[in-house]
Amino acid sequence: MLKRKFIILVVVCLFLVVSSITYAESTEKSGEITIWSWDPNFNIPIMQEAAERYAKDNPKVTFEITELAKADVEQKLHINLASGVTAGLPDIVLIEDYNAQKYLQSYPGAFADLTDKIKFSDFANYKVGLMTLDGKVYGVPFDSGVSGLFYRTDYLEKAGYKSEDLNNITWDKFIEIGKKVKEKTGKAMIGFGLDDGGLMRIMMQSAGKWYFDDKGNVNLSNNDALKEAFKTYKAIVDSGIIKKTSGWSEWVAAFNNGDTASVVTGVWIIGSVKADKASSGKWKVATTPRLNIAGAVNASNLGGSSWYVLENSKNRDLAIDFLNQIYAGDIDFYQKILMDRGAVGTYLPAQSGAAYSKEDEFFSGQKVYTDFSGWIKAIPTINYGIYTYEADAAIFTVMPDVYSGKISIEDALEKAEEQLKDQINR
Amino acid sequence: MKKNYSINRILVYVFLVFTFIVSVFPFYWMVAGMTNSAVDVIKGKMTFGNQMLSNITTLFTTYNMVRILLNSLKVTGFTVLGILIVSSMAAYGFQIYSSPAREKVYGLIILFMMVPFIALMIPLFRLIVKMHLLNTHSGLVLTSIASVFIIFFLRQSFKAFPYEIIQAARVDGAGEFRIFFSIFIPSMKSSYAAAAIYSFMASWNAYLWPLIILQTDKQKTVTLMISSMSSAYFPEWGVIMTAIVIATLPIIIVFFGFQKYFVQGMLGSSLKQ
Repeated sequence: MLKRKFIILVVVCLFLVVSSITYAESTEKSGEITIWSWDPNFNIPIMQEAAERYAKDNPKVTFEITELAKADVEQKLHINLASGVTAGLPDIVLIEDYNAQKYLQSYPGAFADLTDKIKFSDFANYKVGLMTLDGKVYGVPFDSGVSGLFYRTDYLEKAGYKSEDLNNITWDKFIEIGKKVKEKTGKAMIGFGLDDGGLMRIMMQSAGKWYFDDKGNVNLSNNDALKEAFKTYKAIVDSGIIKKTSGWSEWVAAFNNGDTASVVTGVWIIGSVKADKASSGKWKVATTPRLNIAGAVNASNLGGSSWYVLENSKNRDLAIDFLNQIYAGDIDFYQKILMDRGAVGTYLPAQSGAAYSKEDEFFSGQKVYTDFSGWIKAIPTINYGIYTYEADAAIFTVMPDVYSGKISIEDALEKAEEQLKDQINR
Repeated sequence: MKKNYSINRILVYVFLVFTFIVSVFPFYWMVAGMTNSAVDVIKGKMTFGNQMLSNITTLFTTYNMVRILLNSLKVTGFTVLGILIVSSMAAYGFQIYSSPAREKVYGLIILFMMVPFIALMIPLFRLIVKMHLLNTHSGLVLTSIASVFIIFFLRQSFKAFPYEIIQAARVDGAGEFRIFFSIFIPSMKSSYAAAAIYSFMASWNAYLWPLIILQTDKQKTVTLMISSMSSAYFPEWGVIMTAIVIATLPIIIVFFGFQKYFVQGMLGSSLKQ
């Protein structure tokens, strides 16, 4: 009797084991996830790392990551979406944050609604805001362009300034320090192109403003943050603390050559700063200077991009699962990409990890990533609208006359607003 | 008088040396960049460095260079061959056979040269998708073998070919294809060489159309690869320069190899009467 019961038990157990195996097999995920992305030293290897991690748990899932130039990804995406053909579209595509709304609004229904699929409260606020349309969230936030004031400690010490003197300052104070640096060391305080809008966008976002208001209407002539940013641009140029550069390479060369004492830009510049090994130990990072108006904070952002899933792609659900598991769940993954590639994610739980609290010899032992993680949370959330680059272009057609003093800042803003409205028909 | 002449001469040479430097400098800078690290290129270093080996190694380990070069060669080779056959036959047809509608049709085709490619892009893309040629090299080759410019260019040079020779061949009983392949082509070699060089360069450097229809890294051509390399927070300029040097070599080889014909073909027919 006991023996019989034992046999029955064994049979039942066996049955359970076998059925669970077949059950597991039938739900095992499989398919090929195709991805379009750019940057062979950043996004591509990071995506490869993510793919490897996912494939370890899901061996039947393969990845096809296509490396393209950023402009090329945009071009291809436009052609595919505009032609209404879905055959050529990937499952996942990288889109620059400034352009996100352009795609979301121009091609309604083209991107998968991820509102209930991803836990967005784990990500930095400003990042979720820019990919939200009509209350729905369409992307998975990726790298941050949280900005900082990178400076050469040796030059600033010569001018009599310590690290504390650079944290939480206004742009007016920055210019004052710059004059002293110029006087004592002969070096320019900052380098940028007179037609480059990067710094202006940093200034504006630090005050929680943009070229457009929350509803997407053009907001130039009555924009106090923009007015202050214009003033600051002009003051920097007039005070002679600037080294004028033209184009990306000259701009990078200016600080790599030690011609400028500081650079204010996104955290992603770290790779370029560190590329000049000779200046190791001579750099530090402080908070972004703020505009001298109410509501401005010492935190801002420049650039950054995020992943989007195409609604009609072949393996949409698999792609969402992949992004959810790695980009919205794998803390160790974020440590690895920070160490290997200097990529600062916007996934907040990852920022208590070991890699984020490491001291960096290059920055005189400063825990730079701990600092940046703190600043990320303070970045004001704004709506970038869909014409950021068009606005940039309109602004910089009037800037030469502002620099030369030919027209007042108010008139210049008015002129730029008119021009922008003409161009985008609003 | 003689003195004047030599001063002119000196001025001419000064001018030539100046233009030589201006046109050769980018090539020098490209080769020098190939031997430097990214930071040195950014800093504007003009002299040769010692990073060439590491740049080449990085290039070949990060990218499947051999496959990408073979892709480019394959596409370019078939395109050139296709253009030489299809477009030259069209040009020959327009020049040799007369028909009342000939010039009207020709004019219409020439008109297509004026339509910018951007305007054709989306319909052409849809067509390629319908034909299931998306992400294939055939999609690239098939769309470029009927080249309006080459038809125009070849017809201009074919005008110099004496029609009497064709009539004589017909009298001798040669078929139309035989006349074309055995008599016409051999005597128009330099025009064909010029057309070959032109279409080789155009196809090797083609960028927009390959970008649109090639979807995966496996199918990629060399122009797409180079374009993607510089789109970065921290571009590896030394490696990019290495890739550009490698991509430029075939053009230099083809150009200098056929230079004699190229000049002849551009100047007109080589047929001596």
